Amino acid sequence: MPAITVSHLSKYYKIYQKEPGMLGSLKSLFNRKYQTSKAVDDISFSIEEGELIGFIGPNGAGKTTTLKCLSGLLYPTYGEVSVLGFTPHKRKHAYLKQIALVMGQKNQLWWDLPAMDSFLLNKEIYQIQDKQFKKTLDELSYLLAVKEFLHVQVRKLSLGQRMKCELIAALIHSPKVLFLDEPTIGLDVVMQQNLREFIKEYNQKFNATILLTSHYMEDVKQLCERVIIIDHGKILFDGKLADIVKEYAGHKLLTASFEKKIDKESLRAFGKIEEYEPLRVVLSIPRDKSSDIAAKLLDKFPVEDLNIEEPKIEDIIRDVFQKNKL
Amino acid sequence: MKKYWIIARGIMEETMTYRLSFIMWRFRGVLQFLVLYYLWLALLPGNQTLFGYSQSRILTYVFASTLMSAIIFSTRVAELGETINKGDLSNDLLRPANYLLMWAARDVGDKLMNIMFSIGEFTILFIILRPPFFFQSNPFFLAATVITIAIATILFFFINMLLGCIGFWSNETWAPRFIFTILLQFFSGGLFPLDILPKPLFAFFSATPFPYLLYIPLKIYLGQLSFFEIGKSFFIASAWMIGVYLLLKIVWNKGMKLYTAQGR
Repeated sequence: MPAITVSHLSKYYKIYQKEPGMLGSLKSLFNRKYQTSKAVDDISFSIEEGELIGFIGPNGAGKTTTLKCLSGLLYPTYGEVSVLGFTPHKRKHAYLKQIALVMGQKNQLWWDLPAMDSFLLNKEIYQIQDKQFKKTLDELSYLLAVKEFLHVQVRKLSLGQRMKCELIAALIHSPKVLFLDEPTIGLDVVMQQNLREFIKEYNQKFNATILLTSHYMEDVKQLCERVIIIDHGKILFDGKLADIVKEYAGHKLLTASFEKKIDKESLRAFGKIEEYEPLRVVLSIPRDKSSDIAAKLLDKFPVEDLNIEEPKIEDIIRDVFQKNKL
Repeated sequence: MKKYWIIARGIMEETMTYRLSFIMWRFRGVLQFLVLYYLWLALLPGNQTLFGYSQSRILTYVFASTLMSAIIFSTRVAELGETINKGDLSNDLLRPANYLLMWAARDVGDKLMNIMFSIGEFTILFIILRPPFFFQSNPFFLAATVITIAIATILFFFINMLLGCIGFWSNETWAPRFIFTILLQFFSGGLFPLDILPKPLFAFFSATPFPYLLYIPLKIYLGQLSFFEIGKSFFIASAWMIGVYLLLKIVWNKGMKLYTAQGR
């Protein structure tokens, strides 16, 4: 049985629109116009236990709304959601005890008190035994290297330190399903890497099901085998990261270095020029003709070095979103 | 239950980190008390009565009303509307705990801090001012006072939660709360005993929840209500308490369907 099943989930918001300026504000006192925004529009997918899935899409694509529906914060407008056999929005205590939602820009920690106070509160709320609490806390604080600032007021911590404490607070009850919304946002490169390693380890160690959204492709590339791409509330792609390349990239990138200067015009016949220097060119060429074109190029020009690569995943996904906009 | 106590304790620790704000808040209460105290002292010389109140009864009224306010009206639920608007309510909703009890625990923390401080302040003021204070010794009146204070505290909590729920529908939760606070100050009897109002007006207010929040417990403490009147107030206050609770349940459930966990 899958850990998460979503079928035909839709979530619509009513948005109140106001004309700009003072006059607009006055008008809105008496006559308000509402518009329905389809944040999530008829999506379906299912996730097996222990999977670590990347949920990607531009701002406002519907990623966070989906996570909120899955964690039970929002009532779906239409459709069914089932997580671990529960209907999330009923928010049964037995369900809430098995999940966690971490939002990179929101905090659950007590701002004016040390993080430890919030952990102790969660210990009671989730009814964790003393021994288990100590064990989990030791493990998590070791993995995240936070021991020395557990007793410092949260407001005095740096963003990275706080994010780590947020994670501990969210994981202290050892949830089986974890929803991570932009967990690496605002963190420096080193901290991002630490966090990624931690997420991976948590997934493997506890066989936890993890659904993660991120703006950073690097997060997804390093962590997730399977990705779900969403835009305008609809799923554009659901499958292995490697398959995106096959499905969407109709081209490859050919890089050639030459022994002497080659005229730009004479290269146009071979493909779309992405970059050009007199001694080097990057061409975008159709996938199925790549070897033919390479052979012709070698034949016609004094090629010093030649390299054919898959395009970058970032670029492919950007293309997917741009096409979707049109 | 321990989880709720930890929430209450956290609120107390939090209050202590904002010492200056808290001290100013308390100072404001003392000032308000002193104004009322000297006003009544000037209006009512030692051996006279006004609206049926002797000097010692009215000064006791002022003293006790300030102390009872600390118990009944100290609250954190005023933050509920903002918590909903900012999307911070999500933290509560994700926890396997009862939302009403979590907010009640926050209130308890706030009340404990305010009660501790007001007891300290009033001991000092009492020693300095040496007012002619009326001590109630009849166990029946004392017990009835405690029960009405408990009902008032719970009723006030439910009304406050209900006001906070406006946050589900609107971003402007302060305007209705502001009006409520003014009505509360006036018609709960915090500024003057309500029975000095004209009879029809008093009868009208007796049907609203306001007098049961402060005026009635005070009158019972002063021993100025008959057995029948006490029973009647128990009945009306409890009816309000249950009515507002049921309304809160309905409104909360409707609000939850609209909750968008904004802010992200």
